[in-house]
Amino acid sequence: MANKKLTLALYTGSVDKLTAAGVILGGAAAEDMDVEIYVLLQAAFAFKKENALTNDRVAEITDKKDEFLASLDRLNTPHWTDAFKTAKELTNMTIHVCGFAGKVWHGEKLDDFIDLVDDICGISQYLTSAENSDINLFI
Amino acid sequence: MTQEELLTIKADTSVDARGTSCPGPLLAAKKAIGTIEKGQIMEVLSADEGTRNDIPKWCNKKGFECLGTVEESGFYKIYLKK
Repeated sequence: MANKKLTLALYTGSVDKLTAAGVILGGAAAEDMDVEIYVLLQAAFAFKKENALTNDRVAEITDKKDEFLASLDRLNTPHWTDAFKTAKELTNMTIHVCGFAGKVWHGEKLDDFIDLVDDICGISQYLTSAENSDINLFI
Repeated sequence: MTQEELLTIKADTSVDARGTSCPGPLLAAKKAIGTIEKGQIMEVLSADEGTRNDIPKWCNKKGFECLGTVEESGFYKIYLKK
């Protein structure tokens, strides 16, 4: 039986939502789902090499950011890049950066992004993936 | 399986994921399941409340048999058969 497929449109560049995405990807990996991730606009900022480990912006409950980040440490929560890496090691997962999003953040080459990224793509690739998926998420 | 039966199980492998939160224990189980043979039993130690619900659902989807959970002080022992 073919693996189920998850397509994730990842718009966010904030560590709270990226951490949530990492949790979902962990579950998908445990279930051997095929995963396609499309890195859109603000997420492209977070995926740039110079930002991935230093960006600590949060999107929600921003007045509790310090408490939130301290809790992630207390709970030994892997950084979102490590969560994505683990998921990628355990299942068939591909990460595409939207070409437009990359340009917005001055990233036009694959080498501008962290090593987890597989290619730079256009929107039709995302729509085709979404059409053929069992689960579609936008974060 | 009854609690009495679960307490007599001698697992073929044990995964200690007590230092991680969801999905850590599930991923630890996923990594370890490839190291045992069909019919063997794995024990997953987890202090994560959600994991005791997650592992049975994961087993059901992947075709493994969740034998049950033993509650210890501050953590769970979850038994599954490949």
